[in-house]
Amino acid sequence: MQSLEVISINLWQILISLCNLLILFLIFKKFLFKPVKKMLAERQALIDGRYSEAEKAKDLALASKKQWEDKMQKSEAEANAIIESAKEEAEKLSKATLERTAETADRMIKQAQSDAQLERKKAEDGIKREIVYISTAMTEKLLGREINAKDHRELIDSFITNIGKDSNGDK
Amino acid sequence: MEGGKAEKAMSNKSAGRFKIIDILLLAGVLLPLAAGILIKVLFIPAPEGIEISGAAIFFTIPLPLGGLPITESQVNSWIVIISALFMCLYITHGIRARVRTKRALVAEWIIEKTENLVLSNMGEYFAGFAPFICAMLALSGLSSLSTLIGLYPPTSDLNIVAGWAILVFILITYYKMKCGPIEYLKSFAQPVPLLAPLNVISEVATPISMAFRHYGNVLSGAVISLLLATALRGLSSLVLGGLPGILGDIPLFQVGIPAVLSIYFDIFSGCLQAFIFAMLTMLYVSGAFPIDTYRKRKEKKKIKKEKAKTVNGGN
Repeated sequence: MQSLEVISINLWQILISLCNLLILFLIFKKFLFKPVKKMLAERQALIDGRYSEAEKAKDLALASKKQWEDKMQKSEAEANAIIESAKEEAEKLSKATLERTAETADRMIKQAQSDAQLERKKAEDGIKREIVYISTAMTEKLLGREINAKDHRELIDSFITNIGKDSNGDK
Repeated sequence: MEGGKAEKAMSNKSAGRFKIIDILLLAGVLLPLAAGILIKVLFIPAPEGIEISGAAIFFTIPLPLGGLPITESQVNSWIVIISALFMCLYITHGIRARVRTKRALVAEWIIEKTENLVLSNMGEYFAGFAPFICAMLALSGLSSLSTLIGLYPPTSDLNIVAGWAILVFILITYYKMKCGPIEYLKSFAQPVPLLAPLNVISEVATPISMAFRHYGNVLSGAVISLLLATALRGLSSLVLGGLPGILGDIPLFQVGIPAVLSIYFDIFSGCLQAFIFAMLTMLYVSGAFPIDTYRKRKEKKKIKKEKAKTVNGGN
């Protein structure tokens, strides 16, 4: 079998060797670097996703904490407001009750006063009538004859009224 | 329970399938090497005596410029390429973000190392060179290491290494030309125009020196190993030759000593030359590219374009 010289140059062999290196370069690029790079990118994306998820969860937790605190504060304020309003209401109610009581008492006093006056008037009228009757009867008996009852009553009425007036004036 | 069982069965099944594919891929790695050994055993006669020759020629394809001889070094290069292809397929098979397998770690390690090497030697702009440098390291290193299984190392054939060096020369020239042919021609007149012939010589000498350095190292290793093996044989027969019968044929000094030399010349020197070749490629290519000038030129072009745009817009 023939063999090459130790130092020999052949253009075709050189060209083929050049192409061999290029082919191996393409093989490495496509079958080694591409899948590994893809995998590394995927892993990076996975890690990034995890990080962003954690960040999101943290944000969410902080937000809910803040919300909770806000709610607590708000509810405290609400409770204070409710107590305040209840106090006010109670005060108003008690004031109104007092006023109404006073009114009722006033009314009752007035009623009593007017009642008393009425009674007094009634009594006065009754007494007047009695006196008229008695005096008429006495005068009839004394005079022995019937006088005009009507005229008589008017006379006595005026008389008694005058007396009442005088007694009132004395008071 | 049933769901879990089904899942387990499925994972078992997929694992089984993985194994079959793995075996096929590993066969793809090993079979070309076995075929190379077989071809060598069947077609190439053992050398008679001490003989230093180039690669054996299987047949010659008639072409102009001297024809294309298909030689041992060509065949072995293809064997290395096929093995490397299947190796890539094997270590990247089933690679996923969530699953960490040993071979995925190997693949990651390879890529990380080559990328770091390229970035630290060539800079950010040449990050895309990583697969090329990786291919160069693998092809050169594996070619040199193919002596370990008895194959003729393609790197000890000048044509093979010259092809790579010429590719590097093309890359160097391409990056020098990126700033325009005028800048390229001007670069020869640096630092004084008087030195232009020397610059041209040094430009042409780059690929030649690269090719001869690599080829010479591997070939000289082989030659020294051969010479030493022969010398040791002579020494053995000199010392033990006086003994009668079979005792005189004991290869006393041929045991062990050539193995030590082989560790240096085949493994260490092969890997080192691959590394040196890749390193020189990186340095020459990145050194050939005047990145500042290129950026300035690009910016100027951009400004010109924008000006043209505004003028057009005004019209």
